Amino acid sequence: MIRFVDTTKVYSNGVVGLRNLTVRVEKGEFVFVIGASGSGKSTFLKLIMHEEVPTEGEVYVNGYSVHDMVHSEIPYLRRSLGVVFQDFRLLPNKTAYDNVAFAMQIVEATAREIRRQVPLALGLVGLSKKARAYPNQLSGGEQQRIVLARALVNNPAVLIADEPTGNLDPKTSLEIMNLLEEINQRGTTVVVATHEKGIVDTMKKRVITLDHGEIKSDVQKGSYSDEN
Amino acid sequence: MKIRTMKLLVKEGTNNVVKNKLMSFASILTVVAALFFLGIILLIAINITSNIEAMKRDLELTIFLNVNATSYQREEVVGFIEQKKAAGIVSEYRNETKEQMYDNIKKSLNDDSLLEGFGVENAAESFYLKLVDPNSSDELIKQLSTFEGVNKNNGIGYGKDELDKLEGILKIFNYIVMAILVILMVISVLLISNTIRLTVFARRHQIEIMKYVGALDSFIRWPFIVEGLLIGFIGAVLSFILTSQAYKWLQDVINAILLNLKLSTLRLLEFGPVAFRIFIIYSIFGIVIGGIGSFFSVRKHLNV
Repeated sequence: MIRFVDTTKVYSNGVVGLRNLTVRVEKGEFVFVIGASGSGKSTFLKLIMHEEVPTEGEVYVNGYSVHDMVHSEIPYLRRSLGVVFQDFRLLPNKTAYDNVAFAMQIVEATAREIRRQVPLALGLVGLSKKARAYPNQLSGGEQQRIVLARALVNNPAVLIADEPTGNLDPKTSLEIMNLLEEINQRGTTVVVATHEKGIVDTMKKRVITLDHGEIKSDVQKGSYSDEN
Repeated sequence: MKIRTMKLLVKEGTNNVVKNKLMSFASILTVVAALFFLGIILLIAINITSNIEAMKRDLELTIFLNVNATSYQREEVVGFIEQKKAAGIVSEYRNETKEQMYDNIKKSLNDDSLLEGFGVENAAESFYLKLVDPNSSDELIKQLSTFEGVNKNNGIGYGKDELDKLEGILKIFNYIVMAILVILMVISVLLISNTIRLTVFARRHQIEIMKYVGALDSFIRWPFIVEGLLIGFIGAVLSFILTSQAYKWLQDVINAILLNLKLSTLRLLEFGPVAFRIFIIYSIFGIVIGGIGSFFSVRKHLNV
């Protein structure tokens, strides 16, 4: 599903993002990627999304060789991924429904498909009743749920979340994580980069700890304390 | 690309123009100004060309016979002209006899004392030829000058040389028009490009989201291209209206001046017959300027 083989990423300013990283995430797994700032978490996710390309080594995602991908293939890779950000990134001038529908319009879904899928996605994240609300009328937790609905509406094989609870209170964070787990149980592979110790410890999932671009530990049913 | 996607992209582009009112307005104004300036220059060029053509058609080839030309020599010349008329080289001709010439001079001088010593016998008969093709004049002049009865000292006249000089100037004028045109186009393209760049900047979050969700490059780019095309086309239509009004006003003023100067053969053309041509030129330029402007901007600032 996701495979890094001896992958190194050095940015143009000389900063090393990842160093000889070899790791594998199987289909249907739920993985936390943790580590201090600058440990390489974001680089790891960026390489999966082809936002960056590796300096050396190989990256395979959903059958795509990300390291030697031609430009025209990138959209198709991304359609196989759902992406969730810390800062939500919703379109402020579109309703919750339209924000989710927009993701389907982009991949040229029919109006019928959109009418069928969007309510399902909103139902999954528990926001059917807020479909007509604009982002600024929703709480942080609700906005993040909309983002989740948008990420899921095209049925991606992998869901990537970069600090998805970074802007949320602990209770809401837990709700979002439970939602991610539910999504994972439906068969979607979930990769979450996070700082939240409490959540990682509670969820007992696989934890990959990065330090200075290298894997410090990789533990099944791990916790934040495994880092040390 | 599917039709419904195209509809969506056109709608997005149109919405952009409306949403970014101020910048769209500024860009449309630029196109209006550029095309208006271009149109006025173009209309001047069309008018000069058309008037030169009209003047050429009205030109007469003048042939003066020698004062003492014999009737045989005269018949020779008439025969030659008739032959050229039959051949379709001369469209029509008239002649002025010695007596008519004497009378005309007399009339124009309005003072008989000046004509003392100058009688009908001193006047020369002349022929005035209208040519089907003004360019055939050189050959005709060459042939006519071989006739005994024709006055070799400035006896044959044709104003074509002066018009040719005028045409030469017109050619240079056309080159200048072309240069101005290119400069105007570059300025317009840069300004539109800047507008689109600002739109791209204003919508960077949306573009980012589109990229993450897997939008194709074309899906991201087309709304901006549509926006540029629309700005160009709206500018073209407005500029066309402005040009037509300005030209009609100018036409009245200039035609009145020409009439006062007794230059009634010269006149500004009606706008109607050239309107369609001008509109097509404006639309093409507007759309090309808008399209190129947004294309460059999107390519440069939309790293998709």
